[in-house]
Amino acid sequence: MEFSELIKTSRIENVTLCQPFKKSLVGILCVSGHHIMILQEEHEGNQFILLHSAVDSVEKKLSGSRGTLLLKCKNFCIIQLEIPGTEELQNVAESIEKLSNIDNLSLSYPFYHRPRFEVMEDGWQAFLLETEVTRMIGSASDDWRLSNVNKNYTICASYPPTVIVPKSVDDEVLCQSAEFRQHNRFPVLSYYHKHSGNVIMRSSQPMTGPNGKRCRADEQLLNSSLGKSGRGFIIDTRQVSHAKNAQARGGGVEPDVNYSMWKRIHQPIERRQYLHESLIKLIEACIDPSMNSDKWLSRLESSNWLANVKDVLTCACFVAQCVDKDNYSILVHGSEGLDSTLQVTSLSQMILDHDCRTVRGFEALIEREWLQMGHPFQSRCAKSAFAFTKQKFEAPVFLLFLDCVWQIWQQFPCSFEFNEDFLLMLSEHAYSSPYGTFLCNNEQERQKFKLSSRTTSLWSA
Amino acid sequence: MERPTSPDDDPRNKGRTGSLGIADLSISEKSASLKSGANLSQTTDSPSKSLCSSSSTSTENINSQDVFMMKSLRDVPKTGTDPPLLHGEKIQETAKDVTYLCPYTGGTRGTLSVTNFKLYFRSVDRDLPLTLDVPLGVISRVEKVGGATSRGENSYGIVAVCRDMRNLRFAHKQENHSRRQLFEKLTQLAFPISNKMTLFAYDFTENYNDNGWKVFDSISEFRRQGVPNDSWRVSKINEKYEFCETYPSMVAVPTASTDEDLRQCANFRSRNRLPVLSWIHPESQATITRCSQPLVGVAGKRNKEDEKYVQMIMDANAQAHKLYIMDARPSLNAVANKAKGGGYESEDAYQNAEVVFLDIHNIHVMRESLRKLKDVCFPTIDDAHWLSNIEATHWLEHIKLVLAGALRVADKVESNKTSVLVHCSDGWDRTAQLSGLAMLMLDPFYRTIRGFEVLIEKEWLSFGHKFAQRVGHGEDKHSDADRSPIFLQFIDCVWQMTKQFPNAFEFNEHLLITILDHLYSCLFGTFLCNSEKERFHKEKLKDKTVSLWSFINSQLDEYTNPLYASHIHQHVLFPVASLRRIELWTGYYLRWNPRMRPQEPVHLRNKQLLALKQQLQKKIEDLQRQVELKTSKATRLGTARVASPINV
Repeated sequence: MEFSELIKTSRIENVTLCQPFKKSLVGILCVSGHHIMILQEEHEGNQFILLHSAVDSVEKKLSGSRGTLLLKCKNFCIIQLEIPGTEELQNVAESIEKLSNIDNLSLSYPFYHRPRFEVMEDGWQAFLLETEVTRMIGSASDDWRLSNVNKNYTICASYPPTVIVPKSVDDEVLCQSAEFRQHNRFPVLSYYHKHSGNVIMRSSQPMTGPNGKRCRADEQLLNSSLGKSGRGFIIDTRQVSHAKNAQARGGGVEPDVNYSMWKRIHQPIERRQYLHESLIKLIEACIDPSMNSDKWLSRLESSNWLANVKDVLTCACFVAQCVDKDNYSILVHGSEGLDSTLQVTSLSQMILDHDCRTVRGFEALIEREWLQMGHPFQSRCAKSAFAFTKQKFEAPVFLLFLDCVWQIWQQFPCSFEFNEDFLLMLSEHAYSSPYGTFLCNNEQERQKFKLSSRTTSLWSA
Repeated sequence: MERPTSPDDDPRNKGRTGSLGIADLSISEKSASLKSGANLSQTTDSPSKSLCSSSSTSTENINSQDVFMMKSLRDVPKTGTDPPLLHGEKIQETAKDVTYLCPYTGGTRGTLSVTNFKLYFRSVDRDLPLTLDVPLGVISRVEKVGGATSRGENSYGIVAVCRDMRNLRFAHKQENHSRRQLFEKLTQLAFPISNKMTLFAYDFTENYNDNGWKVFDSISEFRRQGVPNDSWRVSKINEKYEFCETYPSMVAVPTASTDEDLRQCANFRSRNRLPVLSWIHPESQATITRCSQPLVGVAGKRNKEDEKYVQMIMDANAQAHKLYIMDARPSLNAVANKAKGGGYESEDAYQNAEVVFLDIHNIHVMRESLRKLKDVCFPTIDDAHWLSNIEATHWLEHIKLVLAGALRVADKVESNKTSVLVHCSDGWDRTAQLSGLAMLMLDPFYRTIRGFEVLIEKEWLSFGHKFAQRVGHGEDKHSDADRSPIFLQFIDCVWQMTKQFPNAFEFNEHLLITILDHLYSCLFGTFLCNSEKERFHKEKLKDKTVSLWSFINSQLDEYTNPLYASHIHQHVLFPVASLRRIELWTGYYLRWNPRMRPQEPVHLRNKQLLALKQQLQKKIEDLQRQVELKTSKATRLGTARVASPINV
């Protein structure tokens, strides 16, 4: 497929661009394979460039021979283009609509983008698990090892090739445990707390099923991961009723009898679809043009977004407290262990470890917890709050995580190396970026597309 | 007003290592309850090198930056439970074995003392003693709870309802009427005016190295604004407060007007409060003037002299041929006032004037709104409905309307170069809010600490905001309809502006809180009485009491914002008056709730920054002096010598 097939009109003169809180700009509208541009011949500095992938939805309004194009972006900004000529408007709208929804990953901009700066340190190699492990555990414990059991992604498709597991457990046990977990996401180490020797593990739900199956290898794996304290909490991020329903469909929870060294606790975090709906309500309240709306606070409240933020923080604090103060190890899982699980494990590390509050440490945390562990950025961030074609996989899971970080930053303004802009930048790039970091859904796909050689990493920038 | 016995006792001041203990996650304006709670931060020495949080077991003790940082002026307490005393303060009553029922940390047993200035409680049953140190002026009502035969633990005692968003509940032993003496002493001392006694401010004899009474002097403030000039003169018509007893002795009026004009015009204004100058734009000469409502009445009376005088105010500004009359009230209320003889200017009678209503409600609406806010904030917060509960109080909406009104005044003066006349009914409540805030937006001088003191002295104190009535200093009429949190609302608006422009103000939040605390404390003479006449002419407060500004100006480091960048904020500030930007001032309204306090010692950090800034500034000066010295040497040596690179 050639981009030119999709671009019927590539150049329109005399287009007015209106952005919130900025002066309007009149110039030539150009549509290219990846960008929408407004250029002014007289003033070269005055230009506007937007990636197609940043556009969430396109709306047209016609009035006579002129028309207005509303580009609602994934960063919640709404851009207005006034275009002379209805045919041109139709063409442009159609092109942007198609170009912002291209499924073929290889055609996306990161594969074409060549950074103008010299790469000092390749971001793809910056946070290798080996070095991260040395930093996290170091000489504090000898009980953990790196396992290459998932080489070639044969055991678990959404896991990285190398994972951290207890030394006393061999790869055979891991394979058996993987059989027992949804999508084979067996328990692996997320964080080792040097001070207490306690750990945070993560996995997906066990496939206990209605008949109450058990897997001794899984039990062995979990028991071997307990620290000196010899006791642990299993944090299930689902409501009890959810977990029960899941059990009927083959999933479930770890039965107390089989996991006697563990206590199970439910700390419910809202699931994907609800988060998405909550975000839509939040953004509707935020962009409501009636500025004097005296219902702002109640609308904010009824979007439930802040309640969701609270739930995640509550759970993460609970985990942090267990590890640091109450001397427990932790296993976190929900259903698949791709969303709320990662929110909890990464936030609790942020609370426990000052290293995660530096710029580099936070990048490492995102790399380790989110990218390597297979949070499906591609499907979660394909659309945002303005896209009404409700697909099942979109959800602002990562955005909610960043919001939680922002909340902690608000309460501890002296404890972070980075500022608000850093978090904003990350949220933008997660949805639309010239860099390859947030492309694909997991490591396996990233390797398939050879991202590390064909695109630039955001961490290099 | 509660503070730890010594800074070292406060775990917050110890090594801040250990993990981030999120004692409470207040999510923007929302507080999230966490099971993890306060325990998280107990261990303070953990090798994980991370920062630790605040809330300790003695959560009632606010950290040492609180209001009464007056260690130097306190006598050292003789025994553990005796209150530290100020100069002129005496213990009047002490009750042992009293339980303070803290709504957050539960009951604690200790000794309760009452002095002629404060209520003091110190617990005896905790490792880290809890202390309460509350000026009696803060108390608006004292009540008995339960009787000698009431059942249940702690059911018999006293409750003190406070003006600063909290209530204090004490439980006494049920035998022998143990609360009687304390209750009687407390009701007597907390309301000295009602009991024909004097306020503590008259007994307070501390000396400060700065005399706050000299901060404001109307003549020099006029001179700073460039008055008198061609169009404005200073009139002594009110020198003896005979012309208008609620106005300052010196007023600035158009040069074109004679004192006879002023008399004629004042007849037509409620309580003779005729239009006088508040502020003049240094370049355009556009002005903010203030007054009370015209006495139009049902018949729609007119007064030629008043019309002529308003025209003079318009003419004093050559840039515009128009004048805005901003009536702070909702138009309905302005119309209703006609029935009581008041009203508003008709545009027919006042040529070239445009009347704008700003929809700000009266003192009764504001009092009711704050009462609701207190119910929502104290003692406990309903997490699930926090935001909608706040909304239902309408407090933030009122704040928004006041800010929006001031913004319109400032915008007309700055952007349209047009003069604005502000009034409400009497011109001492909403008018003071509007002129004060507009001036804060327009003039960077008022954004310095001294400038802010001048602003309060000028627009509030000298123009007769009835502090004594609105607060009810020393009076027990707690349901008096004249009480209203108008000044608090003004300070809240100032806080909103500091949030939107964090680098534009020389002072910090602590200054605003300190001012509000001493609005009630009756320790200083500043906020006593209702007008300049009462204050200086009748009560001679300058001689008999200490000014709050003496106290503040003698420890400026406490109140200085290290992020203040005077050079980049010499322009007008236009805050956004939208409910999306207006926040609840949790640092004030929720400060008694330990879960809502700052998690990190930001104030200490700010002080460090301030010290660093001063150090660097000194270095710059030193280096500059060296450079100057070298250049002068070089010039003396003549031009023949080759200049060294340093001298270039």
